Amino acid sequence: MKLLEIGIGKTAETLGAWMLGLLWLLPVVFAFWSAFHPAEYSTNFELFAPLTTDNFVRAWSYAPFPRYLLNTFILVTLILAAQFVLCTLAAYGFARFEFFGKNVIFALVLLQLMIMPEILLVENYRTISKMGLLDTIPAIGLPYMASAFGIFLLRQSFKTIPKELVEAAQVEGVSAVGILWKVYVPLSRSTYIAYGLVSVSYHWNNFLWPLVITSSVNSRPLTVGLAIFGAPESGVDWSIITAATVMTMAPLLLAFILFQRQFVQSFMHSGIK
Amino acid sequence: MKLIFQPRYWNHINGWLLVLPAVFMISLFTHFPIGSNVFHSLFSMGTATRPEAFIGLENYKYLMDDDIFWKVLSNNLVYSLCTVPISIAIALCMALLINRNIRGRSLVRMAFFTPTVLPMIAVANIWLFFYTPEYGLFDQIFTVFGGDSHNWLGNPDSALYCLIVMVIWKESGFFMVFYLAALQQLSPELKEAGLVEGSGSWYYFRRVTFPLLMPTTLFVMVNAVVNSFKLVDHLVIMTKGGPDNASSLLLYYIYENAFSFWDTSYAATLTVILVLILAIITVIQFVVVEKRIHYQ
Amino acid sequence: MSKIILNDVCKSWGKIEALNNINFECENGELLVLLGPSGCGKSTTLRLIAGLETLTSGTVEIGDRDVSNLPPVKRNISMVFQNYALFPHLNVGENILFGLKARKVPKNEQKKRLENAATLLGLADFIDRKPAQLSGGQRQRIALGRAIVAQVSVCLMDEPLSNLDAKLRQEMRQEIRSLQQRLKMTMIYVTHDQVEAMTIADKIILMKEGCIEQHGTPEDLYDRPATAFTGSFIGNPPMNILTPDDLILDGLPSFPTPLAGSTIRYLLGIRPENIEISGESGIEGLVVAIEYLGADTLIVCRSGEQLITLTVKGKTGVSVGDHLRLNWKPEHIHLFNGEDGRRIEGLAGGLIS
Ligand SMILES: Nc1ncnc2c1ncn2[C@@H]1O[C@H](COP(=O)(O)OP(=O)(O)O)[C@@H](O)[C@H]1O
Ligand SMILES: [Mg+2]
Repeated sequence: MKLLEIGIGKTAETLGAWMLGLLWLLPVVFAFWSAFHPAEYSTNFELFAPLTTDNFVRAWSYAPFPRYLLNTFILVTLILAAQFVLCTLAAYGFARFEFFGKNVIFALVLLQLMIMPEILLVENYRTISKMGLLDTIPAIGLPYMASAFGIFLLRQSFKTIPKELVEAAQVEGVSAVGILWKVYVPLSRSTYIAYGLVSVSYHWNNFLWPLVITSSVNSRPLTVGLAIFGAPESGVDWSIITAATVMTMAPLLLAFILFQRQFVQSFMHSGIK
Repeated sequence: MKLIFQPRYWNHINGWLLVLPAVFMISLFTHFPIGSNVFHSLFSMGTATRPEAFIGLENYKYLMDDDIFWKVLSNNLVYSLCTVPISIAIALCMALLINRNIRGRSLVRMAFFTPTVLPMIAVANIWLFFYTPEYGLFDQIFTVFGGDSHNWLGNPDSALYCLIVMVIWKESGFFMVFYLAALQQLSPELKEAGLVEGSGSWYYFRRVTFPLLMPTTLFVMVNAVVNSFKLVDHLVIMTKGGPDNASSLLLYYIYENAFSFWDTSYAATLTVILVLILAIITVIQFVVVEKRIHYQ
Repeated sequence: MSKIILNDVCKSWGKIEALNNINFECENGELLVLLGPSGCGKSTTLRLIAGLETLTSGTVEIGDRDVSNLPPVKRNISMVFQNYALFPHLNVGENILFGLKARKVPKNEQKKRLENAATLLGLADFIDRKPAQLSGGQRQRIALGRAIVAQVSVCLMDEPLSNLDAKLRQEMRQEIRSLQQRLKMTMIYVTHDQVEAMTIADKIILMKEGCIEQHGTPEDLYDRPATAFTGSFIGNPPMNILTPDDLILDGLPSFPTPLAGSTIRYLLGIRPENIEISGESGIEGLVVAIEYLGADTLIVCRSGEQLITLTVKGKTGVSVGDHLRLNWKPEHIHLFNGEDGRRIEGLAGGLIS
């Protein structure tokens, strides 16, 4: 009797989870449906509606998506590279050295966790414009390159590295830089992957700051390109907009589906303090 | 006299040299703009005919009388008060479901998490269509059940709530991940002890799981609140804050002031308020976290 | 009445077979120890009795009731976990009363039982503390307290002392034993430590690879090990298990000669404490290691290919490299079948006389 009850409870739970999961996937499924079918089927769900890639071809021809894609790609790579360098150095400093004012400086750095650069977009726009960098890809990335989040994560990870390893290297005469490069960095690999995935997702998807700072095809990332393309006043067909939307989210989505476990674990990792 | 350079000085020098580049960059784009925001909020906008001038708290006085500001602020409060608790509750349910040994749990987990990796802009595009009068999914479902067609986003009464629903969908899966991580760290022994001692699922959740997840809830909550103030991408696509500012949020209002009306001095004033709000959240977080540490 | 009976209990996870046909009874008021090396299925057995795992086949009876399909609560048991399963956010009192509150036992009854348990365990002064503020031994006591207030006659313990240091472990095991006797609990106690088992148990079940190797009193296991494995598992240092070769047979004139010529392959077991150093006769051994332990000294000798360990009282004048003659009395010899390791009854004593 009791076992039967447990069985029913379990089935109900499973069913509930599946229903909720389906509900959650629905909008994405719908976007794909609409992108791959002719316009008249975008609200008309027939199982055997003809498939087409026409929407993509047309979206492609209406707006310079390859260029946007390239811009986003450059942007994300640039930010990630700069973040790795800056955050590694700073995290190493905070984790390993006792220096004057360390705690105050660290607290000041952490302020950026709460007040992200996009909150301060008015003044940051002013700064970038004074630098003469308006409408360039580096300008989009600049405010994010030194990331408090990255420093925090890496410092956490560096602090868990056993002291013996460091001391053993010191005894062997490895320099401070050598220790960073040969001990700290390799042993924090999983943190780098986690941070890298979170950072790439964030900047692939970031919108408001790039929108403000870019004004031409040469620097616009995908998200901004999509927003301009999809604006109601552009008068483009709905299915073509969804095709563009799918194009924008596809690379990250594909990476996510392929490395699902890694993604989820990375986000998990980044939240455990 | 020979000057011996003591190794402990190296600690200071090395430390400073290492953190300097990052600290400089962070100061340039976080600390400096905070100060400069305060500064600019005390000046009037310069125009072609009139140079900018010191006006003291004039901007803040204007802000006090600005109905749109109050409207936007109250919108943001409603928005936070709805999205934060609901998405946290859903996230917790999701995590509890997935933490059980159900069939296909990694697929379900993927489904829950997918919205997190999508750009807000893409999400906004998709949902914009859901909310389209007559053709949109919501209206189609509604009309099946005999309802009338609604202009979901065009109606000041519903626009904000439409955004809230979408944001809950987008963010729950993200928060779920943190709960999952926390649940995995709870020892299965505790659950088994509970089973042997006869605690039912609900009793166990109320007395054990939920209290033990409190630190995670706090972390997620702060994250959610900060997000509700800083993520306004969807407004650009879906409503542009309208109709009649019914769905506008503080950061979007700042954006509009700065880049549509080109009133950067008022935008700076508004930014000061936003920074203040975030600072208050930070302080609250610290006080509560501090308390929790003593408590354990 | 709270006799525990396991009938033909099997448990497997997919291809992994953790338990194979386990049968035993634990009498009312008895302290039964499940002993064995790690991974042999002790915890699995205990968890099956508790209802935390489901049986693959067989039945479990507690107090003349088939509980095989009942959830843990319905089995009227209490359990002490290896890591104590204390709720970190609840204080000592709340932890102890957790189960009673869940089952809605009346408030004044709760209070009474808590007071009793707290005095019994010396926890009265710590009722309002959180587990994190207490020492390992005190945490262990909270876990005991939870088992006591349940007032059920069956208590299951899974390596309850493994997180304590050696001294505390000794204290706590005496305490557990006296509690069990005072409260007349039927207790199944899991451990991998044979000393703990020997000192605390009424009966011991020695397990190996999911099967019962021997079920008996501590004396049975020590004096008449049913298998070579039991012999080498019980006792410290472990029993020497030797293959009788010419060196040994020649050195032991009193050894049963008929056996030497018999066709079965067999093993010879001799406890280190039963080996004597004799003057001229006996097995020749070369001393390869000496460990001085205070009360006794451990001497390891090599005889041919085999190592023989013996203990002698106090300090010895023997040093590494010496040649010794080792001897032992026939009644101390245990014989085991060389194929399956089973004890060969009667031969050791019988054939010699
Ligand atoms: N949940 C499980 N899934 C698969 N195998 C298990 C599980 N629990 C235990 N086992 C296996 O069953 C065997 C017995 O385990 P256990 O009863 O925990 O041993 P121990 O005697 O150390 O307590 C081990 O080989 C273990 O790997
Ligand atoms: Mg075990």
